[in-house]
Amino acid sequence: MSRGGAVPQERLEILWSVIAAAGLVLGLRLTQMQLVQAAEWRQAAERNRSQMIHQNAPRGRIYDRHGVAVAANAPAFSLIFLPGKDRRRQDLKPLARELARQLGRDPDDLLEALEQAVREESAVRLAENLPTQTMFRLSELKTLYPGVDLIVEARRYYPFGRFASHLLGYMGKMGQREWRERKPKGYRVDSRTGRLGLEKIFEDELRGRDGGLRMEVDAQGRLKRVLDKIPWEAGSNIHLTIDAAVQRAADEGLRATPTGRGAAVAIDPRNGDLLAMSSQPDFDPNAFLSTDPNEVKSTVLELSEFNNAISGAYPPGSTFKPIAGLAALSEGRMRPEDTVFCPGHFELGGRTFLCWEHKGHKRVSWLMGLALSCDVYFYTLGLRTGGVAIERYARAFGLGQKTSIPLKGEKSGHLFGPEAREKTGKGWYDGDTLNLAIGQGELTVTPLQMAIATAALANRGSVWRPRYIQKIVYSDGRPDYVPKPERRGLVPARDEAWDEVQRGLETVVSSGTGGSVRIPGLVTAGKTGTAQNPHGEDHAWFVVYAAKPGEPASIAIAVLVENGGHGGTMAGPVARKMILAYFGMKDPGASRPAPVAAAVPVVPPIFVPHGVMR
Amino acid sequence: MTLTMARAVRVQSGLSGRVDWTYIAAVAGLIVAGSLAMLSAASTTTFYSSILQKHFIALTFGMTLFALALAFNYQVFQDQSRFVYGLAILIVAATLILGKISRGQRSWVHLFGFSFQPAEMARTLVVLALADFLDRRARRIGDLSTVLLGLLLCAPVMILVLKQPDFSTTLTFVPAIFGMLFCAGADLFQLAAIFGFGGAAVLVPLIYTICQVRYPLAPAHSLPGMILATSRMGWATAAAILLFCTIGFVVWRLASWMRVQIKPAAFAAIPILLSASLLSGIVMQRGLKGYQRNRFVAWIAPQSDVQGASYNVIQSQIAVGSGGMWGKGLFSGTQSQLGFLPERHTDFVFANVGEEMGFWGTSLILGLYMILLWRIVAAARQARDRYGYLVCAGLASTLAFQLVLNVGMCLGLMPVAGVPLPLVSYGGSSLLVTLWTLGIVANIYARRYALL
Repeated sequence: MSRGGAVPQERLEILWSVIAAAGLVLGLRLTQMQLVQAAEWRQAAERNRSQMIHQNAPRGRIYDRHGVAVAANAPAFSLIFLPGKDRRRQDLKPLARELARQLGRDPDDLLEALEQAVREESAVRLAENLPTQTMFRLSELKTLYPGVDLIVEARRYYPFGRFASHLLGYMGKMGQREWRERKPKGYRVDSRTGRLGLEKIFEDELRGRDGGLRMEVDAQGRLKRVLDKIPWEAGSNIHLTIDAAVQRAADEGLRATPTGRGAAVAIDPRNGDLLAMSSQPDFDPNAFLSTDPNEVKSTVLELSEFNNAISGAYPPGSTFKPIAGLAALSEGRMRPEDTVFCPGHFELGGRTFLCWEHKGHKRVSWLMGLALSCDVYFYTLGLRTGGVAIERYARAFGLGQKTSIPLKGEKSGHLFGPEAREKTGKGWYDGDTLNLAIGQGELTVTPLQMAIATAALANRGSVWRPRYIQKIVYSDGRPDYVPKPERRGLVPARDEAWDEVQRGLETVVSSGTGGSVRIPGLVTAGKTGTAQNPHGEDHAWFVVYAAKPGEPASIAIAVLVENGGHGGTMAGPVARKMILAYFGMKDPGASRPAPVAAAVPVVPPIFVPHGVMR
Repeated sequence: MTLTMARAVRVQSGLSGRVDWTYIAAVAGLIVAGSLAMLSAASTTTFYSSILQKHFIALTFGMTLFALALAFNYQVFQDQSRFVYGLAILIVAATLILGKISRGQRSWVHLFGFSFQPAEMARTLVVLALADFLDRRARRIGDLSTVLLGLLLCAPVMILVLKQPDFSTTLTFVPAIFGMLFCAGADLFQLAAIFGFGGAAVLVPLIYTICQVRYPLAPAHSLPGMILATSRMGWATAAAILLFCTIGFVVWRLASWMRVQIKPAAFAAIPILLSASLLSGIVMQRGLKGYQRNRFVAWIAPQSDVQGASYNVIQSQIAVGSGGMWGKGLFSGTQSQLGFLPERHTDFVFANVGEEMGFWGTSLILGLYMILLWRIVAAARQARDRYGYLVCAGLASTLAFQLVLNVGMCLGLMPVAGVPLPLVSYGGSSLLVTLWTLGIVANIYARRYALL
């Protein structure tokens, strides 16, 4: 059958050698991959099929002094997106559009987030803290779009809402630079950190260690099953000295004032514990964690991080009078029984200084002078005592210096007097002494300083460094951190002087301008203030301390209502609510407002003429 | 005709003793391993039951075809060579006209509720036709005309397949033709020139792609920059051609100085060939479709990832490598069951075997294949006529090429080419045609003694 010559068999052998060589190469490659490098490839396969989904650990809780949680955690559903490995099959645009519709967000923002997740091959949180209704609708999307899933995790929750906002702070997202700094500490790009107040200061303590789920995913990013569960570790709990009831009374009381702006601070005069610190306007820290982007946006826009209680400096007005009085009485420049005739004005070097009561208080002694807040009495007292002594006492009370409360943004206020004036190279005049004696002029104080000073009036001279941490209970088993009370100074004054001043302050409440805090069953002592404000309406002040009969005073309060007008009527009721809350009493309501306080017209207490006075 | 059939039936009983049972065992082993792998790999797909059904129907028909191909004397194909060649042209032409478009290719024909991919069958038919042609030209095998006419014979079918367009299948024609010309005893110089030209024309775009991907920021005066400059058909291209001419001249002078006896025409061929392949390479580079270029890039630089083209290459390697010695077990491979491995029951089924059956599975398949190829070469060696010898050589080259391309692709040694692994990959028409073709080989072996 064969038509040609011999078959060139040697060519076939060459072909076979080539085939055998190719087979050998494939065999060697298989050996290399499956026997030599198997472990590396297995790791790659493991990386492929498993995805880590981080779960935010519960932050440490913050309690008030009685163990009431003021910052806690709530379970919340988050929407996450797991990018699939096979990115060719994923069209993100319809997903972004659908999610934008469901969540009420901008589709372009969502698309960007989705694309970033694909680029970095890691899960991303698209929305947090979903409302139940949205959650159910979104769970349907799970079946349509691979990679979309819902997980439950712990979210910060503030049970009282608008409550000690400036002290507690709020949680927010990090900026790019902050994230880069925190990344080594285990923060993720979507981690939230404390932005203000305690949340910020104690970020390291409050933050727990995040846990996670190692999930098996398929190529489209669908979650198949849980491979591994890494438990989270909760953060450390902080117990505050704050009394939630007092704090709430302060917040609500200030908010109810006509201007709604101001600050209130309550201190325990026995040890300097901060019982309440309120600054208005405040904010709801829960709003920053809202799923509604508009709510978050408007909250951020309206946010006032300014803490009036420590950063606002105001002239103390008449609330300074007890300090001037203590200086005079202790130094023996004025005896309690010495009387001054008040015709409603005071002449000095051809200038006229007015009393707030234009009709005059007639003849007044120490008790009535303080009770009625007679300016003419204190002009006389001031001139007799002298600026140097008043300034020294004021400084001993801590005015003009920071209280060293461990919070950011504290102001020192401004104490003026002959000594301070000397440093500026200007002279000190008697007119300045008159202004200093009634707490006006260049004198400015923060509400916190006033609360500390009031506490010092109550405890006879102990000036405390305010303390707001009762203890920190560490989650890692370290012994609790318990700060000790810290006395910053002692006002040196004679006992008789203390007696008279305290009697005077009690008289203010019992028969003077401070009637709004007259509460049966309690010993309350305080002083009103109506501070002249060059920028507008007067600021209303009220400082008060209260005690159960026969016991030392256990709460000292300073309330400031910006532009509130008269202290007794505006700031007094706030202080009253705080005292009632502190002692757990219902408002008997009988004795307010005091007739005297009600009759007080809103008039600038003094008239400061132009030119230099001698 | 009836006489031939009668004789065929009569010798049936005598055949069993001459049939190569090792060969048949290798085929059966590959089918069993392939079916197992396919059962596991396709289990996550939507059309699992339909795939199983089609596979086993194709298997039944395929075994019947194998038996039939074994039963009839293969010399029928040589006798009816014109018919065979005509059928090859007919089915690829019919595919172009009647074919259904799928994935941008018109390569499927639907018939009686089944769909066929006729290009593979056309390849076997072309092998049969070319074997006949080369057998007839045996005395003039050294002539250039034989090689050129042989190529011309195959060209219409290849062009029609390329029209579908099915580049991968067209590519599998090349080793078959080359293997047959080579084993027929064609002039090595001519073969080297023609296939060298073809190879270089493929190599040039490859070099361009390497330069583009590996050195994307190379300045114009650096080597990659200068190489890329030649692709712009400007002065650089002319300079390159001039350089080739100089090389040819220098080599000629050197050879004559060293008194090597080679025809001067050979030296003229060097620059002509190099220049021609450069020019065709440039044309190819420009004609390369986006996805084809991406496959090149994915192969050269898997980490660079052009539109996810390297995804297949990486996932397949992860699957094979992570299988280790013993594999993860059937139905338990994370890469294939979770969908990371693409085309896991078709083109990448070998990677699935690697993951789920491990090294023993892959080496079993590779070993069975080597046994199969060894037996085909043995059939060629012992074939009773030149025709049978050539058919076996052509089929051995084709099969070896497909093995190297497919397994090499799964192991990251070759670019992704869309070539299935015969007998192992899922694919009804491929299985049918392969079994029929292997049946012819078995036939050639069984009739190795001129008595029948």
